[in-house]
Amino acid sequence: MTTEKKAEKKPEYIKVEIARPRAYKWSSGKYLGKLYKEALENRKLVTNRCPKCKQLLWPPAGVCGRCNVEAGEDWVVMSGEGTVLQYTYLVFPLWDPHYGDRLANPYPTATIKLDDGVFLVHFLEEKDPEKLKNVKRVQAVWKEEGRGRGLGDILYFRTIDE
Amino acid sequence: MAERVGIVAVAQTKYSPNRADANEGELVYEAVKQVLQETGLKFAQDGTGIDATVTCSQDFWDGRTISSCNVMSYVGHHHSDEDKVAEDSLNAVYTAFARILSGHQDVVLVATHCKESQGDKRGIENAAMDPIFLRVLGLDFLSAAALQARRYMYKYGITPYQCARVVVKNRGNAKRNPFAQEPLDLTVEDVLGSQVLASPIRRLDAKPTSDGACAMILATERKAKKLCQKPIWIEGVSNCYETHYLGDRDLAECDALVKAAKKAYKMADITDARKQVNVAEISEEYSYQELLWMEGLGLCGRGEAGKIIDSGMTQLGGQLPVNPSGGMLSGNPTVVAGMTRIAEGVLQLRGEAGERQVTGAKRALAHGFTGVCGQLQGVMILGKA
Ligand SMILES: [Zn+2]
Repeated sequence: MTTEKKAEKKPEYIKVEIARPRAYKWSSGKYLGKLYKEALENRKLVTNRCPKCKQLLWPPAGVCGRCNVEAGEDWVVMSGEGTVLQYTYLVFPLWDPHYGDRLANPYPTATIKLDDGVFLVHFLEEKDPEKLKNVKRVQAVWKEEGRGRGLGDILYFRTIDE
Repeated sequence: MAERVGIVAVAQTKYSPNRADANEGELVYEAVKQVLQETGLKFAQDGTGIDATVTCSQDFWDGRTISSCNVMSYVGHHHSDEDKVAEDSLNAVYTAFARILSGHQDVVLVATHCKESQGDKRGIENAAMDPIFLRVLGLDFLSAAALQARRYMYKYGITPYQCARVVVKNRGNAKRNPFAQEPLDLTVEDVLGSQVLASPIRRLDAKPTSDGACAMILATERKAKKLCQKPIWIEGVSNCYETHYLGDRDLAECDALVKAAKKAYKMADITDARKQVNVAEISEEYSYQELLWMEGLGLCGRGEAGKIIDSGMTQLGGQLPVNPSGGMLSGNPTVVAGMTRIAEGVLQLRGEAGERQVTGAKRALAHGFTGVCGQLQGVMILGKA
């Protein structure tokens, strides 16, 4: 026995697409500006230390939010080495909203505790899902081109021996 | 009856066309630092310091959602009670006032910032329009203001000369205000000879691009008296919205402002604002707005503001000085403007307004607005008694 399928009439919705983003020119400010400058010119990751709690601020800033005191100019160059705390394995493509670049896919992203005590979210070089499970110690790999983007000047973190 | 709420400290940055040297947090901290130092208060939620913070910033101007995140460590947000108000910062002070009247908080910091230099002004203002119905028409606040100026001037016989006199007065007043961005010695002819932006509005009828911040601390009556020698009291405050769609409004009228003013006056026991207010700080992005808003505020009758500016009544030294600070026309960011008006009112009532002091000022009016053709209107009455 055959049944005749009636074509169901679907409602039509109109969507309005606005594709072009608005332009901004943000000031990094004094403290974040130093992070940008050191990353760009010296491939160094820097931040400043709170004079009261002695912890490193992240990102660098003029006031420690924990203590509500002015942080000042006690700058520290960090090692760029750390330990992976959590990771996720992204299978959909990320994009860089500032510059419009599509990031490679898949891209493992991790929370990394730098040896200096600062927590950072960044990419991992290791893309093998099985090997990722064992990644512990990592080190920053700096980009060769397209620099001047702060943390974006680090390409990813590479697995190093413990 | 509830305790009164006092303003115990105010601070402003110098307003500037481009503060590329500072990000939003660093900018707002320039003002916050001063009110903390002046009062000796620290952020502490144990009843010994600042109980909460209210910030005012606008996500589109900051280019991010939750724009208070831009300033959080600079205004004591960390593990603290914080509220962000968008639109005009007069409403942030209103929110802080209400928090204190709730009885649960005694001391509240209010801080606002805006860096107009960072964004695309016309694009951001266009984004205030309904996204799929009105944005396509390309209106921004300037083009909408031009329509309003034309309608107001036509209906009430306000002349371009009278609008230009507002600019001459305010840019001149700015010479006496150390925070003002662009004081200028102008003549009416200078204003009328400047480039047309959107007729009838010319370049000098409009405010320049501006970056800046403002901060203040509010407290219960008891704490205010301990914290400061000359607390200034919030005697009345209100706000009111117009409908968004311009086609539903007669742009020569400002009904929302009339209503907001009535409610604020009632709260402050004001029956005749022109006689009972000694100084008014009125937010005017465009010159016609000072005149139109004066009428909406009931400081003169409808259509009378032109004659009032001609008479010199609103000049420094006149019967009712309006914008002795130089107003927004001398350079003052949107968003921040309402708090600038309040801060200036506080300085006037404290007798600390320097060369722009209105002699013997006992009661001040502060006005703030935001949105297309003054869609949201806010009024605050400050008193020293
Ligand atoms: Zn600290």
